[in-house]
Amino acid sequence: MARSRRSRRTLTVIVLVVLSLSLISLDLNGRTHSVTSGVKSVANDVYAPLRQGVLDVISPIGSFFAGAFNYGSVQAQNEQLQKTIGQLRASQAERGFEQKQLQALTKLENLPFLQSLPTVTAQTIDEFSSNFTATITLDKGRADGVDVGYPVVGAGGLVGTVIQSFHHTCVVQLVTDGQSKVGVTFGAGNKNTAIVDGQGPGSSMTADLVPPRTPVHKGEPMFTSGLQAAAYPPGIPVASVRSFHTASGASQESIEVDPKADLSSIAYVDVVQWVPPPP
Amino acid sequence: MTGRSLIRVALVIFVVLMVQQTVMVALRIDGAHPDLLWLLPITAALLDGPETGAIIGFWAGLSFDLVLPTPFGLSALVGCLLGYVTGVLTTAVDPRAAWLKPVAALTGSVGADMLFAVLGAVLGQEQMVQINFLALALVVGISSVVLVLPVNRMMRWALAGESNRRSLVSAQADSRLW
Repeated sequence: MARSRRSRRTLTVIVLVVLSLSLISLDLNGRTHSVTSGVKSVANDVYAPLRQGVLDVISPIGSFFAGAFNYGSVQAQNEQLQKTIGQLRASQAERGFEQKQLQALTKLENLPFLQSLPTVTAQTIDEFSSNFTATITLDKGRADGVDVGYPVVGAGGLVGTVIQSFHHTCVVQLVTDGQSKVGVTFGAGNKNTAIVDGQGPGSSMTADLVPPRTPVHKGEPMFTSGLQAAAYPPGIPVASVRSFHTASGASQESIEVDPKADLSSIAYVDVVQWVPPPP
Repeated sequence: MTGRSLIRVALVIFVVLMVQQTVMVALRIDGAHPDLLWLLPITAALLDGPETGAIIGFWAGLSFDLVLPTPFGLSALVGCLLGYVTGVLTTAVDPRAAWLKPVAALTGSVGADMLFAVLGAVLGQEQMVQINFLALALVVGISSVVLVLPVNRMMRWALAGESNRRSLVSAQADSRLW
């Protein structure tokens, strides 16, 4: 009796393991990936509004407790805000001028490529849903014109690429994710090329395949190269050089870079409706 | 497993999924957040043996796979193995022992996350091992020890009506619906 139970137990586990491995194979196989992707898409269409509903319910509760526990600091913040409002009123005229300046700077420095490419503005609704990937979820999907492979920009530069697109949501792989690789150009006349490699959440990105002693300086910006078959249009700011050195005998320069986009505050982004031109 | 238990287990998986994706993902410390998923097969295995642990681990993992960007089926595989191993390793232990749940939650959750990362890397997702494992182990381990009791309570409710511990596999296998 106990033996029969044990063997049935073993059989159950074997069946479940085989089933899991089959699902993984389906997902990783390019020809059958659409099956699992379709199932995920349907599930996300059901899940996203439910999750939003739960968030709508718990957010005020969270805010209530946060307010109750931090009453003193809330009062102090309120006083500070009153003071700030007064100062802001006084500098309203000046602020208008500054805003114009800021717009001009942003236009010149960061996003000139967006003028000619169609974009879809999206809001970030989820960040880092897994401990093992650097991804965000946006509130726009296939129905809004967002497809897999589209670049995502915002907060000063390239944010990442759409890797999954559902009906009304999509998942974006950030440039810091370990799987992310972006071809870039940098230096005088953008003559030098490199691959900016994500090293996982919380780790510095690196610029690889740079020959030793290539002239680089700290803070130097790197832009998407837009070379043939590149996954991004040219000219998007990707990263800036944080540190660099060439070890003796090394075949390439070691360059650490920081993302140009401020990935700590990406509430809104633009999805660029761009596909690589056919070769 | 009876129809009523199935519905209750499905409800518990749904609640845990929602809590994970709304509350837990926001509690990030050094890039890591608590992972409630693994507590489902662990508590199921402690309450009702390895087979129940494996079955619930599989379905819970599959539910999480639907909303995670990691390979589809990977959480199901790890959840299934976790439930089975937890059940087998604790078969001879008195289920009333006070240390059992925290120790199982700590070792099971951390071990499952490690296995998840390694299997992911083997399957071509190298970025899954490019994380701060120390932070992950600390955050997941400590949070699992704290949260195992409420999850265990929910799982006990879900499996209520089943026979005693390790007897989910009844002689009348035909009546089971999983």
